[in-house]
Amino acid sequence: MIQIENLTFEYGAGGFRLRIPEFALGYRDRVAIVGPSGSGKTTLLNLIAGLLTADTGRIAVAGTEVSALSDAARRRFRAAQIGFVFQDFALLDYLSARQNILYPYRITPALTLDDAARDRTETLAAACGIADKLERHPSALSQGEQQRVAICRALVTQPKLILSDEATGNLDPESKARILDLLFAQASEVGAAVLAVTHDHELLPRFERVLDFAQFREGTAT
Amino acid sequence: MNALYLAFAYLRYHWARSLVLILVAGLIIFVPVATRILLSTSERALVARGQATPLLLGSRGSRLDLTMAALYFSDERPDPVPMREVEAVWDSGLAIPIPVHTAFSSGGFRIVGTTLDYFDFRDLTLRDGRGLSVLGDAVIGADVAEALGKTVGDTLVSAPENLFDLDGVYPLEMPIVGVLAPTNSPDDRAIFVDIKTAWVIQGIGHGHEDVVTASDIASGSAALANAAVVQYQRITPDNIESFHFHGSQDDYPASAVIVVPNDTRSATILKGRYLDSAAPAQLIEPAAVIQGLVDRIFRIKSLLDVVTAIIAVAACAAVGLALFLSYRLRAREISTAVKLGARRGMVLRLLAAETVTLLLISGGIAASGALVVSRNAGAWVGWLLALGA
Amino acid sequence: MRKLTVSPILKSLVAVAIFLCSIGPVAAQEKPRVVAVNYPLQYFADRLLGDSADVIFPVPADVDPSYWRPSIADISMIQSADLILLNGAGFATWVDRVSLPRTRLVNTSMALKDRFIVTESITHSHGDGGEHAHEGLASYLWLDPMLALAQAEAIATAVVARNLAPEAEVADRLAALKSDLERLDAKARTALSGAQDVAIIATHPRYQYFARRYALSITTLEWEAGAMPTFAELAELERRAGETEARILIWEAAPPEEALVAAQSLGLHSVIFPPLAQEEPDIAFDAALDRAITAISNAVSQISGG
Repeated sequence: MIQIENLTFEYGAGGFRLRIPEFALGYRDRVAIVGPSGSGKTTLLNLIAGLLTADTGRIAVAGTEVSALSDAARRRFRAAQIGFVFQDFALLDYLSARQNILYPYRITPALTLDDAARDRTETLAAACGIADKLERHPSALSQGEQQRVAICRALVTQPKLILSDEATGNLDPESKARILDLLFAQASEVGAAVLAVTHDHELLPRFERVLDFAQFREGTAT
Repeated sequence: MNALYLAFAYLRYHWARSLVLILVAGLIIFVPVATRILLSTSERALVARGQATPLLLGSRGSRLDLTMAALYFSDERPDPVPMREVEAVWDSGLAIPIPVHTAFSSGGFRIVGTTLDYFDFRDLTLRDGRGLSVLGDAVIGADVAEALGKTVGDTLVSAPENLFDLDGVYPLEMPIVGVLAPTNSPDDRAIFVDIKTAWVIQGIGHGHEDVVTASDIASGSAALANAAVVQYQRITPDNIESFHFHGSQDDYPASAVIVVPNDTRSATILKGRYLDSAAPAQLIEPAAVIQGLVDRIFRIKSLLDVVTAIIAVAACAAVGLALFLSYRLRAREISTAVKLGARRGMVLRLLAAETVTLLLISGGIAASGALVVSRNAGAWVGWLLALGA
Repeated sequence: MRKLTVSPILKSLVAVAIFLCSIGPVAAQEKPRVVAVNYPLQYFADRLLGDSADVIFPVPADVDPSYWRPSIADISMIQSADLILLNGAGFATWVDRVSLPRTRLVNTSMALKDRFIVTESITHSHGDGGEHAHEGLASYLWLDPMLALAQAEAIATAVVARNLAPEAEVADRLAALKSDLERLDAKARTALSGAQDVAIIATHPRYQYFARRYALSITTLEWEAGAMPTFAELAELERRAGETEARILIWEAAPPEEALVAAQSLGLHSVIFPPLAQEEPDIAFDAALDRAITAISNAVSQISGG
């Protein structure tokens, strides 16, 4: 699914530097990334998503070499292949839960809003237990419910890869496990791999593999 | 389409902010447009009335007062001009003189004593009732009817005046026999009576109790009336015969005389006759007087334009700031959208869609407001002009 | 095919309907309307205008036009006329109490003001104001044919100025009217030349201009036209007849037979002389005036003869 070889990335001159000699992620893999703050975990997610470009090395996602794509192609690739789940949910206050879930279809021509997408919204919402809350705005939802909406949004486009950045960071311990299980269950429904940055060590046993970022770190984080 | 969808969702969710922005933007567009419409309508109304009144004869004095009194029935009271001047114009055969006597009022509206020729001259038509027929009859303008809630069959009483220091000038009750169709001119706010009725109000013409009847006078056998004869305050079929006028009609007053010359040559000859500044009467062209007034208004208008421009700039800056702040507030949404595969330009399109939606709604509101103003401008301008009267 | 046969018929029907609708009002409106306040003015206007206009004298036959009071319907008819002929000299006081369009008014005695005869004036006062006088004017101008002619000329001028009839035609008709009136005047002057010394009493003050023109001395009473005089009135007549040595009594309208007998008994020759403000039955203005002149002349000859 993901293949990384000899990746280097540097923020500014002489600043923080990330170096990954080799990393691979298989289809349907669930891999956790751990490491101290500023060790480049989020940077890696951004590199994989094509939001940042590596200085050297190669990143291939689902057989596509991201660093070789044009800007437009990279955006299409990101919209179609990758689902994002953020720590702060990143929901839009002026849209209802349903509109938030379908938001990706509204902002890029790479996706077409069709009946199938709408049906998937219903299915996902039902699976996530928010079927009766689709018309509510985020301000009327609990934190857990908001994150469920965010998960639905990440999955509605049927991506091949879910990038989760501290998706459970803001939740209480009980919810954390439940949300993560939900994410895994829905990811396997669509056959997506999950690469999740996390600080919660008690959640690590649920992952198939743990990537400790301490080994990649060079220099000082800024 | 999607940008508009999101823009509309955003505006609807933040409805209070949107409403304020729409109103502010709407006002910025509406105010100058409405001012312009009203001003150009008042210019047209003023100039049209002036141009529709070729010449005006009156006592020497303020030309503006004379014009305002004769054309707009204002409160100005130019010195009265004797009816002999009217006869002089008739005798010249060069023009048709139409006297207007505007010294009295009723219910806050001017009583305009004139001749039937006035109605033909101004092309006034009746909406209800009939025209002036008998001494005492009153025909009211459309606005008078509306403001006083009166119609054919009601009566009006002239306001008591002691202006001419004439003893025993009692208010006259006049039946309303007709209501004029609206014309959006000062005629809508006038009470028309025969000039003879105006003279009755003034006390020049009057009736007596049955002491003296018309047939007595005609036969020359009337008894000497006693000194305590009662003046009627109402002209009825029973007493109308006793109404009569004293002295020579040549000395009776009119506020002004509208003079309609037969042609340009006649106008020139007539104007020449009143050039002598020692003569008691003057013949003026109201259009020129009005043009002077309009020029003054339009000097004020250019000042108004500057004020409007300054306010518009300030208001545009405020709206711009509001949009800029909203852009800042939505930095997170932008980064999310980018991560989800949107172009950076998509966000600009989103904001543009919002701005355009806002401006379209504001523009729509301003346009409908302007439409309302232009539809009613005639009536409102008439009302505004009447305020000064 | 059927449509083709029907539609021309429909079309012609519609055309006829439109034609009828349009011609009706046009025909009705085409002739100008002239209103006169007394019979002489109507007569003059009629003769001057011929068929060019409708001349209307709105006062009913049994009403004295001096005291007529028009109804609202009369007023609106008069207001819509193309020309309104006034007598002036205080005749028809209703004109002062009615709104009339000045542009269409013609005062036929405008030029005669310095020839008016002032009658007694009455004085009264009201409120704290001083006394004021009402001046009376004799108004039966037309009984002097020359003043009548002046009125007719004023009408002719007004008619021509307003284009109510072709100028040349009006001029021809005015010339004819003028010769009629001048012939009447000439006849009266001859016929009444012997009447200057004969005192005359009239039952009503109507004949001032006639008397002035032919130098007659006429004393006047205030009797009701066509009625039997009362005893008091007859006594007054007797006294006046004694004072003036009058031999002729002029009646406005034929009185009852007894009245004529009573006059006769006072030594008075009765003459019927309608003042012509109203039309006399079956006789035109000039003929009626002619007849009255002849009657007076006959009475005078009888007196001088007998």
